[in-house]
Amino acid sequence: MTANELREGYSVWLTEDLTWSTDYADAALTEDPEIIAKMQSVADRDVEANEVVGAYFIDIDPETKLPARYRERFRVTGPSNDLGEEIEKD
Amino acid sequence: MYRYDEFDHDVVQSRVKQFRGQVKRRLEGALTEEQFRPLRLQNGLYLQLHAYMLRVAVPYGTLNSKQLRQLAMISEKYDRGYGHVTTRQNMQFNWPQLPEVPDILQDLADVEMHCFQTSGNCIRNVTSDPYAGATADEIEDPRPTAELLRQWSTMHPEFAFLPRKFKIAVTAAPNDRAVIKAHDIGIEIVKNEKGEVGYHIIVGGGLGRTPIIGVTLNEFLPREELLPYLEAVMRVYNRYGRRDNKYKARIKILVTETGIDAFRQMVDAEYESLEPSDIAVSEAEISRITDYFASPQFEDAPDDSAFEAAKSDEDFANWADNNLSAHKQAGYSIVNISLKPHDRAPGDVTADQMRAVADLADKYSFGEIRTTHQQNMVLPHVKKADLQALYEGLKAAELAADNIGLISDIICCPGMDYCALATARSIPVSQAIAERFSDPKRQRAIGEMSIKISGCINACGHHHVGNIGILGLEKAGVEFYQVKLGGDSSENAAIGQVTGPGFSQEELVDGIERMVDFYLDSRTGAEKFIDTFKRVGIDPFKEVLYGNA
Repeated sequence: MTANELREGYSVWLTEDLTWSTDYADAALTEDPEIIAKMQSVADRDVEANEVVGAYFIDIDPETKLPARYRERFRVTGPSNDLGEEIEKD
Repeated sequence: MYRYDEFDHDVVQSRVKQFRGQVKRRLEGALTEEQFRPLRLQNGLYLQLHAYMLRVAVPYGTLNSKQLRQLAMISEKYDRGYGHVTTRQNMQFNWPQLPEVPDILQDLADVEMHCFQTSGNCIRNVTSDPYAGATADEIEDPRPTAELLRQWSTMHPEFAFLPRKFKIAVTAAPNDRAVIKAHDIGIEIVKNEKGEVGYHIIVGGGLGRTPIIGVTLNEFLPREELLPYLEAVMRVYNRYGRRDNKYKARIKILVTETGIDAFRQMVDAEYESLEPSDIAVSEAEISRITDYFASPQFEDAPDDSAFEAAKSDEDFANWADNNLSAHKQAGYSIVNISLKPHDRAPGDVTADQMRAVADLADKYSFGEIRTTHQQNMVLPHVKKADLQALYEGLKAAELAADNIGLISDIICCPGMDYCALATARSIPVSQAIAERFSDPKRQRAIGEMSIKISGCINACGHHHVGNIGILGLEKAGVEFYQVKLGGDSSENAAIGQVTGPGFSQEELVDGIERMVDFYLDSRTGAEKFIDTFKRVGIDPFKEVLYGNA
């Protein structure tokens, strides 16, 4: 389950303890229908509470454990070119 | 430059206050995302792939040094220390946070800037020739007309919910530096046989998934009829433009489906029904606006011997040969500042660089700066005697790349690195091409040519009108790139032809290199890449692109 934070706008993923993390490594990966239902209800609650926006489930590649869709993989890795990182290093 | 009057000030300040309230209500939960989304978009705030993005309007690409310093401050205070010049001459910030956006809008308002109409189905920021008011080849300065359009279109109640977004560009020079034929409406300021100044109105151009070159709607529109006539065009579009399918909603589809003659009749009929005097602008008002754009106090034929002597420095001479354009005033030059170092995203500029350009503009260019649709900057009025000192200042700010108009001066949308609509990355492709052709001597030997890259079919990177146009797509999780050849964004505007199946990034760069080598072997005389392409046709270029030659 992924979304964007309302305030910062950053991509977030729902973790096993049903909180949101900006680190995909923390994301809960599951096929268990009961857990999926629970995740959906938490997402609905947090959208309603204006914590996150646009929550949706994504498919995962079973081998790599990364998102199956190219676009979603990009949300995990971040931009390949961020001048802000270069400025920060300087 | 235009200065806001009391009405402009009131409008901008009240909009900041309004949006501050809207953000507060969103954060408190009084507005849902569905309710808030159109409100934030009307203030240029998008939610992109990784974060929010704020698009700041730079009307007709004109900035003063104070405004550029404020953009630098904003980028450091609220973002990550840089901005991105867009293909509509605007500036984007990639990492603002929602609670701070009202403060950003207030800081913008403090220097007479805003984010109005940088998103949404309205008339977008009007673009123009970045050499306006400086170039010798213009009939008059197009900025007063662009400013008039800005005032007319800003928060125009009738055109706030058009079938789709609407883009207008204005130029006054026969050398089209504003791509007017790829706009919903392109306006060319012209003179008729009597020597009267008026407008050549082009309609129905556009890029996106259905690229079309605009056609003439009105060969010569008298100056005083501009606003009523455009009002008639917009009314016809607003009424008959398709709202059932967003991919067929632009005016180019209406014009194509209706036919230009029938469309013209509809506009004429609407125009007849208007009361033109209601919105026609008086000579006095045009004169008032025009006065704001009066030429600076140029020196009369200043001595430029120092400039000629400075050319003994080879690096300076190369930069001067390539980055300067002819000015209308003897002893002055238009200076193009490249935002295309090969290791950065085209159009990115750091806060330090913005401040450096602002300082140099104050010192050498009457405090004026322009942004260009090629994602570069321009200092419009620099005395030739000051060019060497300016060059040293640009070098110190790492802004002295001498590649304007050359193969590494690539137009490139943000692509999948930042944009929620993108299907593939475009920035790394741009960097790989620029790296492959990074040798300045080689670039100069190749000469003038344009590569334009879009990361999706929406074509923000103008790939349809690149001599080499590149479209990034994705299939089964793998990026690939389609190539178009023969596009042209000048007054000879042309849509490029698709070559065939796409390439990986590595194959693409190799293929481009083979085409460039083929061009160098095939050109005659002073032919540019596009000239050779037109002479020999697409087939031999395709052969080498696909490695079949």
